[in-house]
Amino acid sequence: MNTLVGNPQEDFLVIDDVKTHFDLGSKFLTRESKGVVKAVDGVSLTIRKGEILGLVGESGCGKSTLSRTIMQLLRPTSGRIWLKGRELTALSDKQIRSERINFQMIFQDPYASLNPRMTVLDTLAEAVRTRHPELKGDELRARVAQLLRTVGLNPFQMKRYPHEFSGGQRQRVAIARALAPEPELIIADEPVSALDVSIQSQILNLLKKLTSELGLTMIFISHDLSVVRYISDRIAVMYLGKIVELGDAEAVVDHPLHIYTKALMSAIPEPDPVSERSRTRIVLEGDPPSPMAPPDGCKFWPRSPVEHDERMRHEEPPFEEHVPGHWVSKCPFCVQETQAG
Amino acid sequence: MALLEVNDLTTHFHTRDGVVRAVDGVSFSLDRGETLGIVGESGSGKSVTCYSLMRLIPEPPGRIERGTAMFDGQDLLKMGPRELRKIRGNRISIIFQDPMTSLNPYLRISTQLVEALQMHTDIDRKSAVNKAIAALEEVGIPEASKRVHSYPHEFSGGMRQRVMIAMALITEPDLLIADEPTTALDVTVQAQIMDIIKQRQNDLGTAVILVTHDLGVVAGTCDKVLVMYGGREMESGSAEQIFYHPRHPYTRALQKTIPSLQAKGQELFTIPGLPPDVSKPIPGCAFYPRCPYPKTGTPEGERPALAEIEPGHCWSACGFCDSSAPIETVLTKAGDVADDTLPETAGSNA
Repeated sequence: MNTLVGNPQEDFLVIDDVKTHFDLGSKFLTRESKGVVKAVDGVSLTIRKGEILGLVGESGCGKSTLSRTIMQLLRPTSGRIWLKGRELTALSDKQIRSERINFQMIFQDPYASLNPRMTVLDTLAEAVRTRHPELKGDELRARVAQLLRTVGLNPFQMKRYPHEFSGGQRQRVAIARALAPEPELIIADEPVSALDVSIQSQILNLLKKLTSELGLTMIFISHDLSVVRYISDRIAVMYLGKIVELGDAEAVVDHPLHIYTKALMSAIPEPDPVSERSRTRIVLEGDPPSPMAPPDGCKFWPRSPVEHDERMRHEEPPFEEHVPGHWVSKCPFCVQETQAG
Repeated sequence: MALLEVNDLTTHFHTRDGVVRAVDGVSFSLDRGETLGIVGESGSGKSVTCYSLMRLIPEPPGRIERGTAMFDGQDLLKMGPRELRKIRGNRISIIFQDPMTSLNPYLRISTQLVEALQMHTDIDRKSAVNKAIAALEEVGIPEASKRVHSYPHEFSGGMRQRVMIAMALITEPDLLIADEPTTALDVTVQAQIMDIIKQRQNDLGTAVILVTHDLGVVAGTCDKVLVMYGGREMESGSAEQIFYHPRHPYTRALQKTIPSLQAKGQELFTIPGLPPDVSKPIPGCAFYPRCPYPKTGTPEGERPALAEIEPGHCWSACGFCDSSAPIETVLTKAGDVADDTLPETAGSNA
């Protein structure tokens, strides 16, 4: 891909300079503005059909807001989004509702995202009927049974309530519900972070298998680079509402360009006592700055271990293609070829 | 003599649906300045083990059935409330997973930090506040003298956890219990917090029990490791022994399923099935139903005894599987493990 923003008529999902800001309102008497949270602040992306895009970043970097904006659960402040040539940002709320069967979401907490008073059958049947309202009785039941088998659950469990399942099984039900309307795009927001390690890999395998078998496109959001590295074709690293690095998963993980990506990588503890104790980390200072008052210039300078000069503290670095397909926010202090990674 | 010597600790919860054997005969010992990592999945009993030591188990329904926990010559499990109060927060401190729920939102940080000091030592408020400021500086909180009077909500998650660490260490305890101290935090902040715990441990010579499900965190910090499953000890030993020469099938499988250790493009290794339901008696080895090795018999009755392979390296030696082969050969790689091979009751332990 040569440009960040593809051709909306040809490419699967095109996001063009999307900004989602939250206005905190004004103070009671003085009418003075309380400020604006720039959760997503100018993101452009093109997602190909059938690929898994991993979206990584710390909490508060805007990754969940971006996903909710793509879902049109939040309307962007500016910018445009096209899915299969249809401009989602131009549709009315009513049109979005009917369009949404083409894109579905899996949430982090399967305890909170399933209705505790509905059996699995009710939950899934409702979702199936958004696509096939004509289905009833045995046909509907057969379709639900088939969905349960797809996600590795036994159809005899369909009369059960969510509390009767373990966390991993519940996440499987949530996946089945997302698949029920036969969507083409799935956004998975931290789908495995609430699960145990031994269950995590089962769900990751399942998601990967389903995307290739059903020809789905997926945006996989996580704060855990090791999980993202495993499942994604491409990775986008977000920081303070912007993408700082984007490229093929191998390129981003094995040859990270931006120092923030390198720091994220080096923060992951390795399960090996000897190398873990002798390793030198790139330690970031403090927490991410507040998106209410993001720093000027290269947004990373207050936390970067490399001192930035006056110019980069005020001038925003361009987001450029470093090598074909590998994009980075090109701040001369954050992107250094020779730096040990 | 070891600082803490836990022997056959057994904590059960007597619920309407039966006896939940949360911790079922766990033993370990810890010297001064040492770090013990307790690893296990949710429901493996690692937190209940810690709460039992601090006597924070709600009784009823909980009950410490058996065992001893000798802390510096005194048995923690047989102490009365007054003696306990002298030890808790003074000689043994605890850090919980979620710093928001463990700090009192109505009280200033200074009040909460000073409380522990004034409770246990004869110190006036002014010098206690100065000590609190010093403690906050030690854990890297900028402008500590100003921020000491802030409320918990004025801090970010990572900063709150630093406050918790400062509070736990302000009385210079002999033992610090950290129950998943970094699980709720970002990876970058996690690295900072683990560095602070390690550094303060070096300064003060505190022994640490670190409860976690993240083997990576254990590798970087712990001298000894205890692997728990279904309320029981599966394997224990030095970090090197556990990471380089794991003996128990569960330890081996757990290591293999970590995504960062696996080559990209391949299917992840998985352990089939679900964690055990500890509200029912488990015959033999707790991991037996999920064990991927070829079975050589069906366990019944007593659970397997602990066998020592090397000095300090023990495992729960189940005699009913043939674990001679490398673990890769027996773990499932086939896309997805169907849960429907499980019995009908599989979902009931949620």
